[in-house]
Amino acid sequence: MTESLVPLRVAIVDDEPLARAVLREFLSTEPGVEVVAECANGFEAVKAVSELGPDLLLLDVQMPKLDGFEVLDLVGREVAVVFTTAYDQYALRAFEVHAVDYLLKPVSAERLSAALVRVRERLGRGERFTPPGMIAAARPPEGRAHRVLVRDGPRVHVIPVDKIDYVQAQDDYVCFRSEGKDYLKEQTLAETEAALDPAAFVRIHRSYLLNLSRLARVDQDERENRVAVLTDGRRLPVSRAGYARLSERL
Amino acid sequence: MHPILARLERLAAYLGLWCAIGVLVGAVLTRQGLTWPEALVQVLPPLLVYSFICLSAWYVCRAMPLGTSGVPGVLTAAVVAASVAGGLWLLLNEAWLATLESTPGLAPVTERFRAQTPFLLAVAVMLFLLVLSVHYVALAVEAFRAAERQQLELKVLTRDAELRALRAQIDPHFLYNSLNSISALTGTDPAAARRMCLLLADFLRTTLRVSSEEHIALADELTLADRFLSIEQVRFGPRLQVERRIDEGVAECRVPPLVLQPLLENAVAHGIAGLIDGGTIRLDITRRDGRLSIAVENPRDPEALPRKRGGGVGLDNVRRRLSIVFGGAARLDAIPSPDGFRVAIDLPCASDD
Repeated sequence: MTESLVPLRVAIVDDEPLARAVLREFLSTEPGVEVVAECANGFEAVKAVSELGPDLLLLDVQMPKLDGFEVLDLVGREVAVVFTTAYDQYALRAFEVHAVDYLLKPVSAERLSAALVRVRERLGRGERFTPPGMIAAARPPEGRAHRVLVRDGPRVHVIPVDKIDYVQAQDDYVCFRSEGKDYLKEQTLAETEAALDPAAFVRIHRSYLLNLSRLARVDQDERENRVAVLTDGRRLPVSRAGYARLSERL
Repeated sequence: MHPILARLERLAAYLGLWCAIGVLVGAVLTRQGLTWPEALVQVLPPLLVYSFICLSAWYVCRAMPLGTSGVPGVLTAAVVAASVAGGLWLLLNEAWLATLESTPGLAPVTERFRAQTPFLLAVAVMLFLLVLSVHYVALAVEAFRAAERQQLELKVLTRDAELRALRAQIDPHFLYNSLNSISALTGTDPAAARRMCLLLADFLRTTLRVSSEEHIALADELTLADRFLSIEQVRFGPRLQVERRIDEGVAECRVPPLVLQPLLENAVAHGIAGLIDGGTIRLDITRRDGRLSIAVENPRDPEALPRKRGGGVGLDNVRRRLSIVFGGAARLDAIPSPDGFRVAIDLPCASDD
């Protein structure tokens, strides 16, 4: 069965050197597998995905700065993910975000082999790994997002939620406006709305989600349309339904 | 066995009380024209025998407890028992009078005695009812005390169980991660893997041993802390640094087991593990004026979500145990700062000598 194995390029992501070492050792005996990167944190993982395009991430969940789920949120559309963690409580969430497998530490070579088989099956079917929409739906159980992660090629921007002025829908993307800059992310406005705190963000228009603390006043333009005027003077359209939602909050 | 019959001094007190009642009744009879000797001779002997009959009220109380029998049942039982007691008293009285009659020289007095029988019968029935109610009250008091004692015992038991449960918390993820490290070292550095196995075994053994103790020497707690940190240093490598500042003469202080180790566990899990380049945990232990201060300080990622108020489950656990053991005499403060976390424990320092 080994003659025509699909070659697998793997990146190992774990903040503990020994945890990476054991995976590397196990992978060295797997036919057709090449370890292309070892990353000690999520930023390195995103960079490695952008620059090296691996087929598979072996991804730890609890890491500094970016946890495994946040890394998957950023790169899950272009690479298969197998989580490796000592914690079993993330398993359900892992499969909700379409992780291919979930390995518990200490990891066994047999279990890792089985995961590689599943990865190859998925790759063979040409499946897109994480359908858009799945990630926002699998928010951290502890509550609303307190920051938004936006990927810019190999770099990751971390935007604290209270630094977001508003979010605008643009085709398949949403644009986060924060501190004078725009950040594009492949996501729908509805998904964004679901991930943010509804007490802080109001959908004022089909295409706009506004941070309430940025609202200075609501004006009417010459054609009787309502307009939200922000603290920085910027003007955003307000729909009839959006105005009703705004009035509820104010 | 009746509680009064079970102890001689109780029986003496009981009979003494009845003698006093007899004298009282005798006093009433002297108003009816009897002399003191006559009155006492007539009343006391049958009354003292009757006092034993009255003790049967205890069995009535036991057969018809207040709580479950209902008022009509208890009343009926009381009336029936009092009637029986009254009848027995009549028989006693009759027998006594017959004895007196047959005694030479007393026969004429007996006639006047007999005239008092209805009054004495009423007194006897009343006395029985009085004894019966005293029994009921005594049983109620005893039941109340028993319930109170049970409550107290339950409290002590719960406290013990809680203490045991609180102490026996080894984080399983610590074990899984350590075992994963050992698994990794087995391939690359078998000697280091063996050292780690021994460290881990030592840590587990010490944890289990001290967790069943009420108090341990701080030296033992420090050894445990060192084992823990050594294991975590294998896992985290140079990311985990430790700085210790420990007063001399704290080693023999007695402390509840596992008060320091959870603080270090938190400092690693919520501090060091969240930092890409890691950091230094500072451990400060000072002893002054009979009090011991233990402080653990760790850096943390300022962008990470702030820790829960009070510092989470591990700290709650330690805080709770300190309050069970010391009441208000010990305190634990968790002080978050933007880029760090400090936990300070202040507790009385008792040493063995």
